[in-house]
Amino acid sequence: MSSDSGKKRKPKVIRTEGVAPEGKRSRAEAEHSQEGRPLSEEAEVELRDPSKDFALYQRTCQDLQRLMLEIQELKSRGGRDSAAEIEERRIQSCVHFMTLKKLNRLAHIRLKSGRDQTHEAKQKVDAYHLQLQNLLYEVMHLQKEITKCLEFKSKHEEIELVGLEAFYSEAPEEISRPEVTQEDPHQQTLARLDWELEQRKRLAEKYKEGLSQKETILKEIEVKKEYLSNLQPRLHSIMQASLPVQEYLSMPFDQVHKQHETARHLPPPLYVLFVQASAYGQACDKKLVVAIEGNVEEAKALCKPPEDSQDDESDSDAEEEQTTKRRRPTLGVQLDDKRKEMLKRHPLTVNVDLKCKDGSLLHLTFYFLMSLNVVTVKAKVTAAKVTAPISGGDLLSPDSLLSCLYPGDHGKRTPNPANQFQFDKVGIVSLSDYVAELGHPYLWAQKLGGLHFPKDQPQSSIAADNTLSASHMEQTMKLLKTRLESRLALHRQFASLEHGILPVSSECQHLFPAKIVSRLVKWVTITYEDYLELSYTKDVVEAGLAEDTHLYYMAFIERGTAKLQAAVALNPGYCAIPPVFSLGLNWNGERNNRNDDNIRAMEREVNVHQGELLGPRRGFQLLTNQLQRLCLLMDVYLETEAHDSSVEGPKEFPREKMCLRLARGPSRMKPFKYNHPQGFFSHR
Amino acid sequence: MLMKGRGLLSLSLKLAASLRMRHAEEGNTAPQTMDIQRSLELLHMTVYSQSVSPCGKYLAAGNNYGEIAIFSLSAALSSEAKEESKKPVVSFTAHDGPIYAMVSTDRQLLSAGNGEVKAWNWSEIVKKGCKEAWSRRPPYGSSLEVPEINSLQLNLKDNSLLMAGGDCSIHMMDLESGSFTHEFQGHSDYIHCLALREQLRECLSGSEDGTVRLWDLRTGNQVQSIEVHKYEECNRPQNGKWIRCLATDSDWMVCGGGPALTLWHLRSVTPTTIFPLPQCQQQVMFYQDLILSAGHSPTINHLQISGEVKAQIPCMLHCVHSLSINEQSPEHKVLTAAGSSHCIDVFTNFGYRAFSLVFT
Repeated sequence: MSSDSGKKRKPKVIRTEGVAPEGKRSRAEAEHSQEGRPLSEEAEVELRDPSKDFALYQRTCQDLQRLMLEIQELKSRGGRDSAAEIEERRIQSCVHFMTLKKLNRLAHIRLKSGRDQTHEAKQKVDAYHLQLQNLLYEVMHLQKEITKCLEFKSKHEEIELVGLEAFYSEAPEEISRPEVTQEDPHQQTLARLDWELEQRKRLAEKYKEGLSQKETILKEIEVKKEYLSNLQPRLHSIMQASLPVQEYLSMPFDQVHKQHETARHLPPPLYVLFVQASAYGQACDKKLVVAIEGNVEEAKALCKPPEDSQDDESDSDAEEEQTTKRRRPTLGVQLDDKRKEMLKRHPLTVNVDLKCKDGSLLHLTFYFLMSLNVVTVKAKVTAAKVTAPISGGDLLSPDSLLSCLYPGDHGKRTPNPANQFQFDKVGIVSLSDYVAELGHPYLWAQKLGGLHFPKDQPQSSIAADNTLSASHMEQTMKLLKTRLESRLALHRQFASLEHGILPVSSECQHLFPAKIVSRLVKWVTITYEDYLELSYTKDVVEAGLAEDTHLYYMAFIERGTAKLQAAVALNPGYCAIPPVFSLGLNWNGERNNRNDDNIRAMEREVNVHQGELLGPRRGFQLLTNQLQRLCLLMDVYLETEAHDSSVEGPKEFPREKMCLRLARGPSRMKPFKYNHPQGFFSHR
Repeated sequence: MLMKGRGLLSLSLKLAASLRMRHAEEGNTAPQTMDIQRSLELLHMTVYSQSVSPCGKYLAAGNNYGEIAIFSLSAALSSEAKEESKKPVVSFTAHDGPIYAMVSTDRQLLSAGNGEVKAWNWSEIVKKGCKEAWSRRPPYGSSLEVPEINSLQLNLKDNSLLMAGGDCSIHMMDLESGSFTHEFQGHSDYIHCLALREQLRECLSGSEDGTVRLWDLRTGNQVQSIEVHKYEECNRPQNGKWIRCLATDSDWMVCGGGPALTLWHLRSVTPTTIFPLPQCQQQVMFYQDLILSAGHSPTINHLQISGEVKAQIPCMLHCVHSLSINEQSPEHKVLTAAGSSHCIDVFTNFGYRAFSLVFT
């Protein structure tokens, strides 16, 4: 409005000096037009339309202009009556000025109210802005809180909870609440935590209970200990008191006691062996004699410095330095000394004498090698009936007598794995070179001594276990006895075998017909190498039935021009483990299991079906019965062999045996089975 | 924490168990003697018969102790075969005496030994059940000894089973009813082997008495008798006259045993080819245009009709008693040879021995 008025005013200003007259006029006009309510112009402003006011202003200005121009015109004309006209015109102009003034006031009022409004609005905006700021801050804070919540680590996550399935199956219904927790993992975790707490409480209680129980047991033990310690002197007095009685009744308690006194100086394994063997002797075998031999004083001396063995290492090192200084050139001698030291035996030994029914005696001496921590055995046999020395003398030699008492236990290597390291130090390749002197470290001897060596790691401490010894004592003693008896039986049998006599006891007569033509002509020992070289033993060796610990023999059986060789592999465990025969027949060419099924069948008859040849008394006659059957089988083989029709002359071996059929089955087997009461031969 | 506690408990339980086991091992010598007895048995084992299952995946083998062992050919032939897969899947004692013959029908395994035929359902054998489905005994006369059955031959046209052995005659059994319908008598000694001429409805039998006889299956009459040892070119008196094996292919027959292995033209009854094999032959079969034979030598012989020995494939057995080709399944087509050993040699390519199945 003002700019509009400005534009129009410019010419006016040039012509009529200033705005004031105009404003005055408009105000006057306004005052004039609104005479009735002079104070309520502010209210009036509200009612009036500003655009109309603007139009009014324009019109007034134009009228004023026109009036001014008319006045000027009149003045310039300078007419007479012009003064009145000018006056009239001036009055009109004044009215117009009044109007202008009024308008000016109104404008001012409007401006003021406009300003007020703007201010008000601005304040409102400011308030809103502040509010916005507050809200933003709040939002930020909340977000922070949320992330904090999200990042929160609860302690329960570190707890190893019971598995879900176990939880549902074990926890009671009121804790697991499956209907809620199955759906809601949160509730589930809570329930599981509850259950965990419950269980832990229970376990804690149990722990407390256990502690209190332990306490009471400790107390009990205390009480019992006290009782026992009180008992000792009383027992002593009783013992003292009983001595005269013992003497009077001539009971050997004291003697036993003395032996037990000596036994205290035994090393732990021998002690265990002694105790267990004498216990076994008392309980099961009255003929078993157990005794301790050796120098007790020496043993006592050994016992006195108990730390000697531990310091051994450093001591010997120091000694070594000294000795090397002293006698450097004789290093070999020094090593020898060390070896001797290592293989040193405990001065005390345990002797066990096993008596058989026929009066022969097995004399076992148990030694303990102190630094090697193994028990060794030497065996000696005193046979009741002295037999002539024969080639089978190996049977009773201390070397092989007890070999393989348990499968694979040939007693050549040390059972203590730790020993190998000790040997390496002093340059012993293997214990087997010293076995003849020291005795054999059989595994069963270790077990009788309560020593148990795990296969993998060396054992550090000597821990002689009574129960181990006890559990093996009975079986080992029985095995020893059986071994001795079977060896003695073999010994006797060999004596007659060497003279070509096959002793068949009356109990076994039913196994064979009365007439057997084939004869055993020779019985010799052979070496393992010889055995391996035979063409027909390959399968036996491959089957792992012939090892170098076995004893090997060769039997020669003849009938006419036919010669049968039987290689026998005798397991040391005879007669629990049967001997294995391999056959080679020399008659019209070489025949053996490789080219003749019937020779193979003969081997089968003696090897596989040996069960029927065992005879009475634990099968001590097995070997002779097998040989006798072999003679019989050879008869059958030769007599049933088809006669070659192209060769002139009579058959060498006329058929004397009664056979149902000569051959049977795809392999044309000969009738090798003897049927006792009827005396005919049939097929198996 | 709770879990750890449980773990410890189970560990200690295991420890206790292993300790107990060790004690058990230590205190026993009885299994050792059992092992020795078994290894002796294995050492002297002879496998007389084999038969492939209808599916071609399994091989049954019968030995002289009356045991049948089932081997899985598919496992042994697979690329990831281990030592374990060459051992029997299952084995069981089927007969009292040796098992001399076995054949397979489309459902059953038939085994024969001392005077008895027994049937085993393949479906059950493979599932490790071993109950005999049925057992039959041919009508024998009174004798001190039960005659053995040396050969079984399936006659699919009549759905019947031919068996022959120790009583010198061939018995024909109807597989439907289980009754013995015919008995062919004529041999003077026990019969080793049977073969079938399906076109002519004839049956051949080779015997210890040295003859090969042809029988008409419909009438039961003897058609022909060939005394092999009477022919100078075949005769080997040092070996005897027995005929152990024969095979036939329409007009041709090959037979061997004591006499040399010979190819015969049946219509003219003339020996056409005599194969130059010094050992007695125990098994013979036509295979494509070759003749495979084996016997008292550690070889499988590949022979040509013309009489040439094409190849002698070495095997582990000193004496072969049974040859079998698995025709049932092309992917497991192998030649297996069994005999005087507890091993059964397997030839995947017929030109060399691939590996052995072993009895345990």
